[in-house]
Amino acid sequence: MRESIGLYLHFPFCRRRCYYCSFVSTENREQDIPVYLECLKREISNHSGRFHLKSIYFGGGTPSLMTAGQFAELFDCIGQAFTIDKQAEITVEMNPGMLTSGYMEDLRNCGVNRLSIGVQSLNDDELGLLGRLHTASEALAAFRTACRSGFDNINMDLIYGLPGQGIETWEKTLNLAASLGPRHLSLYCLSLEATAILAGQIEAGILPPLDPDMAAGQYELAEAMLDGYGYRHYEISNWAKPGYECRHNLSCWLMEPYLGLGVAASSYLEKHRRTNVACLDEYIYLVCSGAAMLIETDEETGCDLQLAEAVILALRLENGADIARFNREYGIDLLKHYSCQISELVDLGLLSRKENSLSLTPKGRLLGNEVFWRFLPEQPS
Amino acid sequence: MDQKSIRNFCIIAHIDHGKSTLADRLIELTGTLRKDKIIQQVMDSMDLERERGITIKAKAVRLGYHSGAGELFRLNLIDTPGHVDFSYEVSRTLVACEGAVLVIDATQGIQAQTLANIYIAMEHNLEVIPVINKIDLPGSEPEHVMKEIETVLGYKSSEVLLISAKTGQGVSELIEAIVNRVPPPAGRSDLPLRALIFDSHYDDYKGVIAYIRVVDGVMETGAKLRLMGQGTHLEVLELGYFAPGPTPEDRLEAGEVGYIATGLKSVKECRVGDTITLASGGARQPLIGYELPKPMVFAGIYPTQADEYADLREAIEKLNLNDASLTFEPESSPILGQGFRCGFLGLLHLDIVVERLEREFGLSLVVTVPGVKFMVTKTNGERLAVTSPVDFPEPTEIQKTEEPWVGISIITPSGFIGALMDVMQEYEGAYKHTEYLGQITVMGEESQRVRLEYEMPLRSMLTTFYDSLKSRSRGYASLDHEFLGYREARLVKLDVMVNELKVDAFSRIIPPEKAHDTGKSVVSKLKEVIPRQLFKVPIQAAVGSRIVAREDISARRKDVLAKCYGGDITRKRKLLEKQKEGKKKMKMIGRVEVPKEAFLEIMKLG
Ligand SMILES: Nc1nc2c(ncn2[C@@H]2O[C@H](COP(=O)(O)OP(=O)(O)OP(=O)(O)O)[C@@H](O)[C@H]2O)c(=O)[nH]1
Ligand code: SF4
Repeated sequence: MRESIGLYLHFPFCRRRCYYCSFVSTENREQDIPVYLECLKREISNHSGRFHLKSIYFGGGTPSLMTAGQFAELFDCIGQAFTIDKQAEITVEMNPGMLTSGYMEDLRNCGVNRLSIGVQSLNDDELGLLGRLHTASEALAAFRTACRSGFDNINMDLIYGLPGQGIETWEKTLNLAASLGPRHLSLYCLSLEATAILAGQIEAGILPPLDPDMAAGQYELAEAMLDGYGYRHYEISNWAKPGYECRHNLSCWLMEPYLGLGVAASSYLEKHRRTNVACLDEYIYLVCSGAAMLIETDEETGCDLQLAEAVILALRLENGADIARFNREYGIDLLKHYSCQISELVDLGLLSRKENSLSLTPKGRLLGNEVFWRFLPEQPS
Repeated sequence: MDQKSIRNFCIIAHIDHGKSTLADRLIELTGTLRKDKIIQQVMDSMDLERERGITIKAKAVRLGYHSGAGELFRLNLIDTPGHVDFSYEVSRTLVACEGAVLVIDATQGIQAQTLANIYIAMEHNLEVIPVINKIDLPGSEPEHVMKEIETVLGYKSSEVLLISAKTGQGVSELIEAIVNRVPPPAGRSDLPLRALIFDSHYDDYKGVIAYIRVVDGVMETGAKLRLMGQGTHLEVLELGYFAPGPTPEDRLEAGEVGYIATGLKSVKECRVGDTITLASGGARQPLIGYELPKPMVFAGIYPTQADEYADLREAIEKLNLNDASLTFEPESSPILGQGFRCGFLGLLHLDIVVERLEREFGLSLVVTVPGVKFMVTKTNGERLAVTSPVDFPEPTEIQKTEEPWVGISIITPSGFIGALMDVMQEYEGAYKHTEYLGQITVMGEESQRVRLEYEMPLRSMLTTFYDSLKSRSRGYASLDHEFLGYREARLVKLDVMVNELKVDAFSRIIPPEKAHDTGKSVVSKLKEVIPRQLFKVPIQAAVGSRIVAREDISARRKDVLAKCYGGDITRKRKLLEKQKEGKKKMKMIGRVEVPKEAFLEIMKLG
């Protein structure tokens, strides 16, 4: 019996790097795409015969920089190496701009049934500030083209908490986006690593600093508004119309196994968390020289850690950690095992204890890290 | 060697006028050490000293010198600590000498500690040789400084030497002057042994090493000795001198300077200033009255993590072996847990001790606001010595409070007089006297220099006084102070509450009219340094039950949840682990997490 898993493929190319980006991606390297895809195929073949795929997720970077032909070849390769579930959810992330309906139809013909569009904002000034290469109207056009090409299950990524962003422009973006009725919305609060261009601009005083209080207000506004539009807030940063939750990500949050291929991709198989090397050149070099290991980190998660991760990931979800599930899968009573942490967090108003589950309160959703770290096991010092 | 050929001298100077550099040059020129062997300044031996540029422990070096007239001399150069905190040690060092080279910077002229030093030297009847140093510098003004020395110190220009300790210019002439002008030691080898301890340190292998000046009699290896002040008995395990490394010898005669290894376990048993004599048949009269340096500044020292208390105790005890002027006693605080109330000679001494505890013993410490020792007479007649604000009685119980005062001497270009008068007023200084010194060029302009005399409570000096003085005089004013005695005071205790909890570590004793301002600056500083918590935190300053200042730290509403992309859970978890580790470094005040830096910032406010 083949193991049922999710498959993640990473595509580390973008036309130009956005000013907030800290993802694993490159600019000005598009000429290396063919070689990279060859490497990816070899890596796929290395796992041949082992898995049955419940979901496939192309993330990046900007996977939509691949041609339809390159997609088709990749799917052939995947189809040879694995069996794919008839109901499999197959997502491709894309950025607005230069997306024709012909291209989208080709993707559909390859089997892609879910699109995730990096809209980020529907305000041109904000898009400029973020260093995005598209305008608001191009983003809207991309969405419409996708619908016309027969895609029903579409996600939009939006970012809030931009430097200097008030509540009003956010409200406008959100209203406009929700009124188009995408099945799924991911809202991310801008967080900057020191290397991001925006971080430098804030440091230099060109932009105002990030304002977590404003971001909190924006998040609360989103919760109220999207509820009105009929979305379920099923995970900290994710909203969906009923039945359109992202199955690939849900399975990650439920600690189900997944295989990640490509640069910097992570896997969780047989209780091992592995992450591939994060450098494109190193990845290509390793695959070309026939190396069996592309992995930068490999960690066997012990019982303590598995449990902690399971709780942390489950708490991200609307329904929280199901006490019966933990009893079944880990043989423990969550309420007893974490009684100190739980009573502290309940006192702080971050956690709510229901009869059958533990979940974040609205306040806790804003302060998730404060909840999560408390569930980590003591480090052996 | 014949006693007539011995010269014992020290170098005294205001900070950075070139004492250590001159010592190096003397060692080099007398051929005691080849130039390539002088790894920077030999006399400052502790790392910490080198970094701060301050001499903490005095050392003695023996230099051989053939004079211009062809005679062989033995020069003992005794280094002195350069900071007022250690003025007791300076004065003991001077007792061991017959002469002093007074170094004055040609670009700065006489400074506050130049005067303080020369007064002590004159008190001990030392032959003083004034030298103007750094004449190689383009901005130097030896003529002006010369005039200042003539008018202020009363030396004739023919008595003053011009040198550059850096280039060596004039240093040979200085050595000749030392030989010719400093008298040889006067003691007698045929009298019963009397030797002065002018410094000491603890060595892991040899126990306490005492630096000594033999005044009368002869010191020999194996001799059984007695300290006349303390009564300690000891045996000379090893004896010798520094050249500049330790060089063992069999005997030291009257007039000589050297060291003895005693095997004693702590410098407390072998205090600086005590007189050594033979255990039996010794001298009757000690050389000088011997006293213990008194701690003037007190602060609580606590481990950041309660479980490091035992390590802290061990570390302090160990430091104390080498630093007898550090006092400590256990103290416990409801917020900070178990720690020690420590006494120091001054703020610099406190800094040095804390830094050594952290650096050499790897401890993470919280230090409370430094204060002085108050003498409080209660209404019931009881008299208390209060070194911690916690013990300060309620206003209704106090009949009289007394606090230590210091005399302050500031030397400054006259252009800053106005600014400095403001500073002094702000810090409760009482004006005494102005004295005119010479002219010197300041920022390209001729300027009259003056010496201002004030008196102020030591308490006030422990705050941001020194920084204000420096910044308001753009670094041109120099400062010296001496203890005057206790005076009556009107004082109250200012308490600080974090989230309704009184934090003793932040309490301080202040005049009532300052309560509002001080309270305000403390609470706003705390608001700045305490990170936002998950709930609103009020910060209040109060005198008794009267709130004098308040700020609220609003609750944190949102943290940053990085996008969890590509299923990289490990990376996300690492971030959480870091956050968790960060919490451990916090000191809990009730439910409020306070970073250790907050204590430091509040301490800096004074
Ligand atoms: N140009 C010049 N610089 C000098 C001379 N003598 C000393 N210096 C410099 O002045 C600074 C202070 O000299 P030190 O010898 O460390 O002064 P000090 O009096 O021992 O200082 P403390 O130990 O802090 O009391 C150093 O940077 C020396 O290099 C000199 O004759 N000419
Ligand atoms: S599209 Fe995404 S991955 Fe590419 S540069 Fe922009 S933020 Fe980075």
